[in-house]
Amino acid sequence: MINLIGNYSLIFALIISLGTMFFSFKNFKYNNILDFNLIVLVFLQFILIFCSFCTLLLAFINSDFSNLAVYNNSHTTKPLFYKISGSWGNHEGSLLLWLLVLSLFSLIFLIQSKKLSVSFRSLSIFFQQIIIVGFILFIFYTSNPFQLIIPTPNEGLGLNPILQDPALAIHPPILYLGYVGSSIIFSSSLAALVCKYTTNQWARDIKKWTLISWIFLTIGIMLGSIWAYYELGWGGFWFWDPVENVSLMPWFCLTALLHCSSVLEKRSSLQSWTIILALCTFMLSMSGTFLVRSGILNSIHTFANDPERGIFILIFLSCLILLSLIIYFKYNNFEKSNKSFFVSKETAIVINNWFMMYFLAVVLIGTIYPIFLEVITKEKISVGPPYFNQLIIPLLIPFLFIMSIGTKLDWIKNKEINVRYKKIVLLILSVLISYLIAKHLNTKILYSTVLISAALYLLFISILDLKNDKLKWSQKTSHLAFSILIISIILNSIFSEEQSVNLKAGEEKKLSKYTIRFEKISKSQIENYTSLKAEIWVSQNNNELIFYPELRLYKVPETITSEADIKTNLFNDNLVVVNYLKDTDYLNIRYQKKPFMLLIWISALMLAVGGILGLRKKY
Amino acid sequence: MIIKFLKISFIVFFITFFNLNNVSANNQKVDEISKNLRCLICQGQSVYDSNSEFALSVRALILNKLKAGNSEDEIYLFLKSKYGDWIVYEPEFNKYTLVLWLLPLFLFIFGGLLIVRKVFINRPKK
Repeated sequence: MINLIGNYSLIFALIISLGTMFFSFKNFKYNNILDFNLIVLVFLQFILIFCSFCTLLLAFINSDFSNLAVYNNSHTTKPLFYKISGSWGNHEGSLLLWLLVLSLFSLIFLIQSKKLSVSFRSLSIFFQQIIIVGFILFIFYTSNPFQLIIPTPNEGLGLNPILQDPALAIHPPILYLGYVGSSIIFSSSLAALVCKYTTNQWARDIKKWTLISWIFLTIGIMLGSIWAYYELGWGGFWFWDPVENVSLMPWFCLTALLHCSSVLEKRSSLQSWTIILALCTFMLSMSGTFLVRSGILNSIHTFANDPERGIFILIFLSCLILLSLIIYFKYNNFEKSNKSFFVSKETAIVINNWFMMYFLAVVLIGTIYPIFLEVITKEKISVGPPYFNQLIIPLLIPFLFIMSIGTKLDWIKNKEINVRYKKIVLLILSVLISYLIAKHLNTKILYSTVLISAALYLLFISILDLKNDKLKWSQKTSHLAFSILIISIILNSIFSEEQSVNLKAGEEKKLSKYTIRFEKISKSQIENYTSLKAEIWVSQNNNELIFYPELRLYKVPETITSEADIKTNLFNDNLVVVNYLKDTDYLNIRYQKKPFMLLIWISALMLAVGGILGLRKKY
Repeated sequence: MIIKFLKISFIVFFITFFNLNNVSANNQKVDEISKNLRCLICQGQSVYDSNSEFALSVRALILNKLKAGNSEDEIYLFLKSKYGDWIVYEPEFNKYTLVLWLLPLFLFIFGGLLIVRKVFINRPKK
């Protein structure tokens, strides 16, 4: 019964979509006043999709196993919180959530854009509806969350235990808010092209949505990283895994757009480039969904494997690309761009975009090249961290230096670049500190020195910038956060230490720096898993730390997960992970020292806070 | 000032780029090598991260090879001949990966030229 309600609300939502498209097109062509029906229809559609989502949620909460999605992904012994998060932890449910957010954003856009021209608003809604129709069809044809099984099974198959985690429970919705926010950017830039509205006013409107998507995407990526850090148990937080790369690509694009749209806003130039970025962002978000959900990536995160779905999204994506290409080439008659000067903020932002696009290209090529190569030549290659590090890190150095200069420049033309005594001292200071750090480590001195000094210099300059009245607080915060983030990541990767030993309970092993003792292991039954808690003592120079890492044995589905025990303080993380060695009494114990982990999370959060501060501005 | 700056960063870029390929000589070579190898039976884990039998056997093999005096490159070569290019995370530079390695750099240069054109050639006549 409840499944039927969900299913039919979706069908009605589809019908309403067609109605909305009709009305919005009519409104665009013949009317100067917004048709009230349009708001009603979009609102109704949102309610219907919301209804449909709620029924799925109810099915998960009640463990209604007559529903295929619930049967595949839930289990009666699962805690309530994960029953709820399970509704979007699977492919079908997550798409429904995408759709829900999509319709919510359309509604918000329609309501809050009162000041803009009617034709622009209705046309944006029209394009937005095309996306919605595509998604509803996709859900119906390939991944209906309301499929029934007869007879009804008594018990479900359970949710993959690695996914039963608070950070990962809220990770998809947040990430989707970021992805879907870019759909508004997409529709409104198409509408702006048609209405010839690609002005600085439009740039101001688009900036709000860019910021919103960017904030959610930043937080979403951060949550995913945090999860990977403590749950996957390798002590790393970024693996250059395809699924991670896929979320990073729209982030680069959005960051570029964020900077570029302020050039359009202030200087009325770079129109076509802003449009291209705006269109690309949504394409990348869509392909993100496509690449992750189709299972063509060989990845730890791919929990849904179904190539047919991929083909549908690929067709849908091609249609959207075709549509945007047609509109772009038919309507692009931009004014000749304004004068630009070499030493100006505008050039600095163009250079920012240049680097962003390069990073994006590296990640994009590195992620999809192996797929194409395999299809075309049957050659199978892996593109992993060494590739990305070699192509990205060297160019990070000039990027950081330019970023520290760029904020100082004026919009039009800098009369002279005032090289102040203070800045040179800072530069020398950062090179000196970096040299000492590199020497202390005694590896790759030149390379580390240059890299760390670039990051340190940016940090010093960003701190100095806090007093600069020309900059906005949002910019100051985000730039400072970014510099802390970069320097923490660099120092983290250089200073990390780790030791791995195999021990039985009661044994102890002396290593060069530490002594690791495996004291005991205790077993207990918790909710839906059996917990094996080990007690590990790590001592270094009379300093003892006791860790309680855990192994969780789940019955449904049969899996072992490993929970790290992490001791965090501001400058250092100490963590121990244990792993089960098959057919022995031994445990593999891995002790890691990870400096500045907390700073990485704090600065990522601060980056998002900077974005939120940017929203506060009155337009 | 900026041009000088760009020049310097360009030089720095090249130095660091080649520096990256130098292998630091330390005792934890097995760890270092196994971080660059894919565990073939796992989903997206390196040999270093994994505790599967496959990963353990590969690590033992690397250790033996190192003790026998083989160099790092020889070990990669051996593993590639045994398991295919799929096992290494760093794709070798050959005719199949030409585009993979050069396209990003080409795009970077292309973007740079576009910017130069915009800033210098389109410059308003005063």
